[in-house]
Amino acid sequence: MISAATNNTVDIANGKLTFGTAALTNFKNLTNQNQSLWGAMGNSFLYAVVQTLVALLICSLGGYGFELYHDKKKDMLFSILLLAMMVPAVATMIPLFKMISKAGLLNTVWGFMLPAISTPFLIMMFRQNSRSFPVDVMEAARIDGLSEFKIFFQMYMPIMKSTYAAAGVITFMNAWNAYLWPKVVLTKGQAQTMPMLIANLASGYTTDYGLLMMGVLFCSVPTMVVFFILQKQFAEGVTGAVK
Amino acid sequence: MGENNKKSGKSILAKQQRAGWLFLAPATLLIVIMSFWPIIQAVFTSLKTGSSASMTWSNPIINNYTRMFADKVFMRSVGNTFFYLIIQVPVMLIIAILLAQLLNNKDLKFKGFFRTCVFLPCATSLVSYSLIFKSLFATQGLINTILVNLGILENNFNFLGNGSSAKVVIIIALIWRWTGYNMVFFLAGLQNIEYSVYEAAKIDGANGWKTFWSITVPLLRPTIIMTFIMSINGTLQLFDESVNLTNGGPANATITMSHYIYNNSFGEGVANFGYASAMAFFVFILVAILSLINMKVGDKRD
Amino acid sequence: MKRKLLSLLLVGAMTATMFAGCGGGSDEPAADNAADDAANDAADDTADDAADDTADDAADDTADDASDDSASSGGGSLTVYAWDTSFNIPALQAAADDYKANVNPDFSLEIVEQPDSKGVEQAITLAGSSGDYSTLPDIVLFQDHYIQNYVADYPDAWQSIDGIDIDWNDFSAEKLDYSTIDGVHYGVPVDNGNAVCAYRVDLLEQCGYTIDDLTGCTWEKFIEIGEKVYAETGKYLMTINADGNDLVYIMLQAEGESQFKDGEPYITENETLVKIVDILVEMAQKNVLYLANSWSDYCDQAIVGDMVAGVMNGNWILPTISKVEANSGKWELTSIPTIEGGEGYASNGGSSLYLTSNCKDAELAKDFLAYTFGGSTETYDNALRNGGVVTTCISAGKSDVYNEGVAFFNDQPIYSKIVEMGANVPIVEQNNYHYSARNYIGTAIINILQNGYSTADALKEAEEQLRFEMGL
Repeated sequence: MISAATNNTVDIANGKLTFGTAALTNFKNLTNQNQSLWGAMGNSFLYAVVQTLVALLICSLGGYGFELYHDKKKDMLFSILLLAMMVPAVATMIPLFKMISKAGLLNTVWGFMLPAISTPFLIMMFRQNSRSFPVDVMEAARIDGLSEFKIFFQMYMPIMKSTYAAAGVITFMNAWNAYLWPKVVLTKGQAQTMPMLIANLASGYTTDYGLLMMGVLFCSVPTMVVFFILQKQFAEGVTGAVK
Repeated sequence: MGENNKKSGKSILAKQQRAGWLFLAPATLLIVIMSFWPIIQAVFTSLKTGSSASMTWSNPIINNYTRMFADKVFMRSVGNTFFYLIIQVPVMLIIAILLAQLLNNKDLKFKGFFRTCVFLPCATSLVSYSLIFKSLFATQGLINTILVNLGILENNFNFLGNGSSAKVVIIIALIWRWTGYNMVFFLAGLQNIEYSVYEAAKIDGANGWKTFWSITVPLLRPTIIMTFIMSINGTLQLFDESVNLTNGGPANATITMSHYIYNNSFGEGVANFGYASAMAFFVFILVAILSLINMKVGDKRD
Repeated sequence: MKRKLLSLLLVGAMTATMFAGCGGGSDEPAADNAADDAANDAADDTADDAADDTADDAADDTADDASDDSASSGGGSLTVYAWDTSFNIPALQAAADDYKANVNPDFSLEIVEQPDSKGVEQAITLAGSSGDYSTLPDIVLFQDHYIQNYVADYPDAWQSIDGIDIDWNDFSAEKLDYSTIDGVHYGVPVDNGNAVCAYRVDLLEQCGYTIDDLTGCTWEKFIEIGEKVYAETGKYLMTINADGNDLVYIMLQAEGESQFKDGEPYITENETLVKIVDILVEMAQKNVLYLANSWSDYCDQAIVGDMVAGVMNGNWILPTISKVEANSGKWELTSIPTIEGGEGYASNGGSSLYLTSNCKDAELAKDFLAYTFGGSTETYDNALRNGGVVTTCISAGKSDVYNEGVAFFNDQPIYSKIVEMGANVPIVEQNNYHYSARNYIGTAIINILQNGYSTADALKEAEEQLRFEMGL
């Protein structure tokens, strides 16, 4: 039912705006915008890729630490951290903005991603999924004299491939589609991201839907590609490799 | 699980514990700086009043909180949000888990394609998504055309212009958008279940439905709890749909808490951050309570 | 360890590029080349003789006034926030070209596009809340209805434009009423929000009416015509964006009334308002009025989707109407009906340009604004041609471009007509809670139509909510 809905919408998006002849003009208009399409694409890519890499590293370390070394104190701490994701973003926007602007990080990738690198959600994802991590393997490795960090990088990371893939997709997608916060920290025209560009296209008293849809298409392709590539990672039978 | 390390000697254990703290330190520190510090500031703000450039302590100090409970629109937004929560979250998670099970089937052809299709809705940008839904349910939109042609409706109906039907549209939109997202977690979770477990069950003569309930669901429990918390959290902070599909209307029939908070801080030319922070803090407490119950019920280690 | 090293390296490299990229952008050398000693002050240039001035003068002023850390570093460049590529951005572009061609060849205007007017408001709010105004551009385009509120809330975000060389008598008094605060001018008008009624004359004719029947008619008569139009053609004679509630305000202003009286809500006691709500409800019930549920429903379904035979809103809605090319030549404009009959005039929406406190080179900004939007026909003619922006400047509205007939509107010279109507708009009491009031009244109308409220109850609730929000 849902995949039918998906196909349907693609049909609608394409069917309603007779592509073909209009596509080229739309594309031309898009590239001739006041703001540069490629600039926004590049920004979005940079921000999303950097944020995904950094977030995956930090949060998986966190999840690993919380689960495989868990004790009462750490479990407590984790529950407290969980609280952080329950505050509506609007409430923390102003204090965060003050902080970022004082640190001089407006219009930089740091300003963009710092608040989003370490999310309780990602840590929780790694923590929950780490439960299936075979502890005996860890013990064996310790006996072999591997340091804790080596165990993480050499054993945990490859074994948790599917979790990394899923988390990567989610983080990339969130970073790519983020709008509210980027709108706040990226005040300069050159620092704009794709969703901001699209929002500019979509507003105003009159909207050119052909142009908008072309923009949306450009904006949607990367997340889909990333998903398509990574879904194999957590979809192909990893079973044999794990245990 | 996870208790084995206690067997080792004391000094090794301490070393391991230290490593554990080291592992979680960067993530924890970032959350403290980027989330808790702003939250604490927001709590102070919630006790103040006035324009955000020059705020003064409100009088009485909890004025924003008492005001909140007297605010009919806010109370309405609380009601709306819970309405979405109660209907949408269970339906969505059940569909997601079934889909994940279906798409995890080893013998299914074009798995990648189907998975991408299901995931597609949450990967599309908000703009296109809201546009699509608005045009689908417009008075002259596709849904109306189909329903009228089928003879179910006599006249074109303004779905988004009517309070109850607009709510239903929002729920449909939510399910459409987030099912694929949750399915991704279930898929990842399913990978951790060994195939041999299923094979053993098959030999024992358990049918598909039975294996699903007695093997898949219990083994997926950590994932289910996680998605549940996520969904509760996401729904209670629901913002995009309310803003983009209906703008809270008609007559505030679909407005959500976060939307109303946003309106009070950045909307309509009135920036009332004190009041907005108070409401945000209220939402925070609600989510925290619900998640706590959830964790207590479901999060038991073996 | 390899992986960790790799990722660390990656992060490091990214950081380095970011900082490098950043640094390169921010400290461009200030252009100090235009340092000859022309004595004229740009502020002395009147709009009329500025064209005669040499380019050097203006450039010189720039170099003198620009302090090193100005947002407008460089030889005469300014940044501005605006939000609509098919409306006010072309107008600003026209002004920049005009100023560059006729006053200062080194001038450049960077227009930073915002998704909507809220984007600009949010920028001010953020800057004000954090006390860091250095993120703001030199000039912002700002909604007239909000400016008083924002000047009161964030006084440090703005600077007055007193001393600017503009003949204020040349502008519509109603428009200036917004941007003048305690007698101090803060903004220069750009567009004109004069409300118009546009009708499909071909459909009216089909039902045996002309546009004259709808000019200066009563709302009663309007409903009578509307019912006939719907019966014969299936099209609504009017539409309203239910969550924007433009109509109530426009109709009210056409009667010379406001939603506020002496700074307090004036709703249940306001007989005119009650009557207008009843009229709108009757119109909706009789299929004279299509209740669109959002702005996009209003534009894309009702107007572009060709569901209506009439539209009433600020004249900025005309480009939307013109999108349906098949209906070219079939529309005409006229004034607004009133309760008792007689032509009504009102204004809805519109914005002006304001100087932020971050504008270090205020003299350049003032000179630019005075020369262009202060009355340059070249600016206004091009703004009209490229963006459909209609001026409130009376003398600029008399140009040939304004007097041309517009084919889409049956060769009516609509623009001069709009400027002409603008002079008649009555000034009514404004309030910071203008849009909130509109929202609550809109909610009341839906409550009457859908939830079985009586007019009195629905409006009572609206007034209570509004008073609550205002803290009264």
